[in-house]
Amino acid sequence: MSVHETKVHEEHHELSFIQKYIFSQDHKIIGIQFLFSGLIFLVLGGVLALLVRLQLGWPHADQGWLGQILDWSPAAGQRMSPEQYNTFFTMHATVMIFFVIIPLLTGAFGNFTIPLMIGAPDMAFPKLNMMSYWFMWPGFIIMLLSFSLGVAPGGAAGAGWTSYPTLASIGMPVGGGAESPAAPNSGWGQILWLLSLIFVGVSSMMGSVNYITTIINMRAPGMTLFRMPLTVWGMFITAILQAFALPVLTVALVLQTLDKTISTTFFLPPGVLEFGNWTTNPGGGQPILWQHLFWFYSHPAVYIMILPAMGIVSDVISTFSRKPLFGYRPMVYAICGIAGLGFIVWGHHMFQSGMDPRLGTGFMIATIMIALPSAVKTFNWLGTTWRGNLHLTTAMLNALGFVALFVIGGLSGLFMAATPVDVFIHDTYFIVAHIHYVLFMSSLFGIFAGIYYWFPKMFGRLMNETAGKVHFFLTFIFGNMTFYPMHLVGAAGLRRRIFDPTMTGFESNVQFLNQFMSVSAFLLGAAQLIFAVNFFYSLFWGKEAGRNPWRSNTLEWTTPSPPPHGNFEVTPVVYHGPYEYSVPGMEDDHVMQTRKLEGVPVGAGH
Amino acid sequence: MNRLWSILFGVVMTLAVLAFVIAPAMGWWLPENIGTFYGVDTLFYVILATTGFFFVLTEAILVYNIFAFTDRGEKADYSHGNHRLEMFWTAVPGVLLLLLAILQIRTWEEIKYQTRMPTPDHVFEVSARQFEWRIRYPNAIQLDRITSAWQDKSEPALARNWQQFPHYDDVHVVNEVHTWKDANVRIYLKSKDVLHSFYLPNLRLKQDAVPGKTIPVWFRATRANTIYNEQTREWVDRYNYEKKRFDSSLRYDLACAELCGWGHYKMLGRLFVHPDREDYLNWLKSAQEKQRQTQAQ
Repeated sequence: MSVHETKVHEEHHELSFIQKYIFSQDHKIIGIQFLFSGLIFLVLGGVLALLVRLQLGWPHADQGWLGQILDWSPAAGQRMSPEQYNTFFTMHATVMIFFVIIPLLTGAFGNFTIPLMIGAPDMAFPKLNMMSYWFMWPGFIIMLLSFSLGVAPGGAAGAGWTSYPTLASIGMPVGGGAESPAAPNSGWGQILWLLSLIFVGVSSMMGSVNYITTIINMRAPGMTLFRMPLTVWGMFITAILQAFALPVLTVALVLQTLDKTISTTFFLPPGVLEFGNWTTNPGGGQPILWQHLFWFYSHPAVYIMILPAMGIVSDVISTFSRKPLFGYRPMVYAICGIAGLGFIVWGHHMFQSGMDPRLGTGFMIATIMIALPSAVKTFNWLGTTWRGNLHLTTAMLNALGFVALFVIGGLSGLFMAATPVDVFIHDTYFIVAHIHYVLFMSSLFGIFAGIYYWFPKMFGRLMNETAGKVHFFLTFIFGNMTFYPMHLVGAAGLRRRIFDPTMTGFESNVQFLNQFMSVSAFLLGAAQLIFAVNFFYSLFWGKEAGRNPWRSNTLEWTTPSPPPHGNFEVTPVVYHGPYEYSVPGMEDDHVMQTRKLEGVPVGAGH
Repeated sequence: MNRLWSILFGVVMTLAVLAFVIAPAMGWWLPENIGTFYGVDTLFYVILATTGFFFVLTEAILVYNIFAFTDRGEKADYSHGNHRLEMFWTAVPGVLLLLLAILQIRTWEEIKYQTRMPTPDHVFEVSARQFEWRIRYPNAIQLDRITSAWQDKSEPALARNWQQFPHYDDVHVVNEVHTWKDANVRIYLKSKDVLHSFYLPNLRLKQDAVPGKTIPVWFRATRANTIYNEQTREWVDRYNYEKKRFDSSLRYDLACAELCGWGHYKMLGRLFVHPDREDYLNWLKSAQEKQRQTQAQ
């Protein structure tokens, strides 16, 4: 046995196909695996969103052939039913958050960039890294199975991605099976939802331990913490957030699973609940407890979904402004500030929940103050472009799009943070607008920036710039047309998560905008085809990139594209920070981190 | 050529500002406020003005930078930042944000703190269930006892007692919230099954109903919309007392704002604001009579 193992180890570069591309321990391959599965689920999540928009735009229309496919329950006619609608928006959010944004940012970019950018041959724990990816798969499969009526007769989970008890958590009386009296799709669908997310949580946990260890222990000589690119800083702080917050969500998921399966009563209140003809036994728990546990993770999760994108955008903007990042240290402190404050603001999701209003006051102040580090970051991005020499590549355009739209998402957050205003706009489309400006218009633009930027390093070829720019142009326009009017309908009071928005006076006033947003959303979806075609075309026929197509400074660009197993031919030595662009007195406008400069005062302070 | 991308950013951001300018004229805006929580609207506009200023400022700089510094043909400035500038743009927004936060506190207390709620003229219980609002009103004598005891001793014991132990002659109504103009209303909000949220957009009021909890809610409606129709012998809403005619904009919806199952979207009710207490008591009497007839059958 030991002979055999030694042999395998020696043949480092001749791994079998399965070891190399499927059960790979190479951080780059794992990153690319996360990238592909994330993009595939992006399609699923997007289709679900379009189904939601179809219903909201034309809540009474005959849905034609689509309606015939959706016609699961004869009562609803040839169109989607309210239960299906609930499933669609629940699964849209679940898929986008847990299967797309988090895996793309931390799984794909975290895995791919961290060792390359700090000059390490691989992650600290390559096997753990492989497990982290393959633990996603039971999650994927369970979640997809829950769409099958054979597995979950009531349909996939439909209690919202927040899965608030008691709608989500209530179980049937003895002998009633696993279905739920509160909603048909809170039965098996909900149980599978919970199990799936437990797997995803374990996966993220393994990833975050790995990232933290790698960044602390495996930096190349000379790569001090304050010489790390901001992408790595973003990933580092994100991993710490995950390590501290995720166990709380995992525990909450287990508690709800127990409530549903073996009738524990963690989230069932002491009184008796009535569902139709039967009543529950009195419980001893609290529905609001779930909200505390859930948001204790899921609010930091919002920062998990934005900090890496902020890091990526900082690197892209500095590179293509050909100018050092403005205020490197304030940028790092701002990330830390967001992460620190991020732990004490979860209650702003619960202002109207029946929580003590005095707690609301405290959470409000913390939440409003978290706008400060975000503002500092925005000003520093503007400072970086100021008197730069901007090269508007597709990656740069997406990064600038991120800045422009993150401003909207950040500022609209203040409305919800303010407790009195939140009384009115809580659970309206205003919050839907806010979250989509932060997660779609910001995180996804950050992801696009990252893909256009590192695609040549991942696959050795450049993506087509013209197609990329058309994609950016259309996404920017249709994205704003889809999500911006949500602010207005939110101000008019339109509730979120409703099947038919024309049943009240204040909501039917804005039906025109609902249709406008739906049409825009279909166009937005169609525009993504350009990206898909560009991605696959460039994979095979793109222009060869060479080592450093962007003339960038960071360590990954010193390696061949794509880098071999083990990354660096020799361990790199780092002499200065990552953003030494346009150093005076030099002909070249960039200085690789590995290049020692004599007599030129580089990177004052770091 | 490349600097023309600034036009895309500039046009989209200008349209974003314009959208907020034309929205009120198009009716895509805050519904009429007929309550006393004016603070909600005022603070909304204060935040809108503050964020609007910073929005225009940052987007303008961004657009200018893209226009002015794209493909400049000369080397970028070599600068790692500016300590004084950092201090400036940390301190100024910091102070502004803190002020903005402090500004909110009073209105929040006014809406939600039990100790700040005024002594009620009108008390009832709202019990949410899938997918309707069950409302229990004390009868006229009971209401009088509850409110006068509360006013005398500022002591809600009688109300609490009534809330915990329903009377046989309470008036039960589904999906219709009845009150009268300028009455301080106190609601005991409960849920029988899952989370719901009691949402009256025209009063700027929202409060989750939580199974296992009884949550106090208060409001005061300042505009009447309900009149007795002699022909149908029913009370109807949407009546405009100033113009003496019916007006669909005076329909005050009650809606559920927290996802509660498949019928969440249609868990709706109406707010009926009677012109005075007497009119309300007339309605209460007729509702009680109807209830008696139904029970007798």
